[in-house]
Amino acid sequence: MSISASEWGALLPVAIPALAGSLIPLAALDRDQETVKWVRGGAFFIALLGLLGSFLYVSRLWGTGAQPTFGHLRMDLLAQFSAIFVLVAAAMTVLQLWDHLHHEGWVKGESLALLMLSVAGMLVFTATTNLVTLFLGLELLSIPLYALTAQVRLRASALEGGLKYFLTGAVASACFLMGVVLLYTVTGSFELPRVASALRGLGPDPLALAGMALVLLGFLFKVSAVPFHQWTPDAYEAAPHPIAGFMSVATKGVAFIALIRVFPWALGDGTAGEPKVKAALALAAAATMIVGNLVALHQSSVKRMLAYSSISHAGYLLLGLLAGTPQALTGMLFYLVAYLAMNLGAFGLLTALGLVGDQTGFDRLRGQGWKRPGLGIAAAICFLSLAGIPPTAGFYGKYFIFKELILTGHVGLAVLGVLASLVSVGYYLRVLKALFLEKPVEAEERQAAEQPQVLAPLAGATVLVCAFITLAGGFFQGPLVQRFAERAIAETLKVLP
Amino acid sequence: MDAAAFLQGSLQAYLSVALLLFVTGLGIVLARRSLLVQFMGIELMLNAANLALLAAARWRGGDPQASVLYLFIIAVAACEAAVGLALVVALFRHRATTDADRADLLKQ
Repeated sequence: MSISASEWGALLPVAIPALAGSLIPLAALDRDQETVKWVRGGAFFIALLGLLGSFLYVSRLWGTGAQPTFGHLRMDLLAQFSAIFVLVAAAMTVLQLWDHLHHEGWVKGESLALLMLSVAGMLVFTATTNLVTLFLGLELLSIPLYALTAQVRLRASALEGGLKYFLTGAVASACFLMGVVLLYTVTGSFELPRVASALRGLGPDPLALAGMALVLLGFLFKVSAVPFHQWTPDAYEAAPHPIAGFMSVATKGVAFIALIRVFPWALGDGTAGEPKVKAALALAAAATMIVGNLVALHQSSVKRMLAYSSISHAGYLLLGLLAGTPQALTGMLFYLVAYLAMNLGAFGLLTALGLVGDQTGFDRLRGQGWKRPGLGIAAAICFLSLAGIPPTAGFYGKYFIFKELILTGHVGLAVLGVLASLVSVGYYLRVLKALFLEKPVEAEERQAAEQPQVLAPLAGATVLVCAFITLAGGFFQGPLVQRFAERAIAETLKVLP
Repeated sequence: MDAAAFLQGSLQAYLSVALLLFVTGLGIVLARRSLLVQFMGIELMLNAANLALLAAARWRGGDPQASVLYLFIIAVAACEAAVGLALVVALFRHRATTDADRADLLKQ
């Protein structure tokens, strides 16, 4: 079998990170690597090179407007958009990992290899309308993440968080698979367009409804919507900060992008299950916003607070899906990009301050803003954006979604969303208060003076870049939405039936 | 009843067994406290899906796509087992227990 040039076009963006992921273990074979800095540097270099290669390739595809396909893999504009999204998030994660793993004293090649394979899985996950390929992408992105969560296996707590993530994640995957099989049993196809047309012809079939519910459950688990959110705080707390940031941004992002693709076909419009699915989604969105925001108020660890905050952001994004208009979906894509910048910036702050292990309490941040003003201000921009304060990108993301929600008649949910984001200001400002208004604890101050200064140039740089993207997204939201998000949605929606 | 026809079964019968297995597996994961047994519950859920898949494929006249998915599921289950068992073994080295209730370092 020979592969044509256009087929390579669809395959290469996925193959390059996967190849890099397979090469890195070779670089990490050396047992004495703890003393050899250039071997470690080589592994990180391969990872960045793989991400860059894939990024350049996809951005060229985007520039020419080509949409190559290879079997069930379809690199259309939405897939290219999400590929760029994932690759940027992964590159920032790799840069932060370099600093964080050195602080932890636990630099291993496997972290990068697993990360690259997970990236490949995410690209597959968003680039297909075939349920079999969708399931394979889901597993390829999840299984490395289970191991990544538990990678600092020195600590029992890391393993525990990884195991909890694994158990819940495996159950969700099994449910997703059962849903796929039930949909196949009813409709006789794995291709979403055919599944959809068969479902429309059917009455309210209990098997089809169960299949829809199970597939939806798999997605809701991945975006950590209530009531499938319990794994989130534990997994994030156990994972290294950059990996937690990556999980919250990239996993949630690709799950939402895949939902945008799957939802109108398999679960929504015109099928007998549509009202029930919509009602379940509205209920999940409301519960997610309420639980995520209220529980986040009472956290003593910044990382757990960020975990609950990421749950609440899933709620806002679900609202966009519920509104369902092209403008709302465009708003979701914009919100995801804003969320990438602000959340990676927030987790990057923890990395840049050199807070390893469980030292992530709010009191650890005290007074740090004045000590490193550039970092402090950049992080402050990210947190203000998370809270949805104008003129940051986070505000416009929420604005686009809530506007469409009101236009489609879901006024109650929009009001709830605004109230929830008002509550969220409380816990984000707590971080800023600790950073700038509180004095550092004296005992810790003395301890810190005895130890060498924490250096994290790469992580610090990523926080600055994140703050820059957040502000740029806020000031130039119009042209950015038009040029990128709208194009991805419009071109992909055209193929919708 | 004709023995051959009984062995042949109907799609409903196969699906009922598969759903029963699936629910049993889910119940095991939720109720049992030993990590290894919970793990077996997950395998049971995956294999329940496999059973339903093969029954449906047979009923539709032997769809090759379904058989391919069946093989993929086996491979995926093996990968999950590898990662999951590695995590259980690593935790066992720290704790010398596979009791899920004693994994309570992280706040609930």
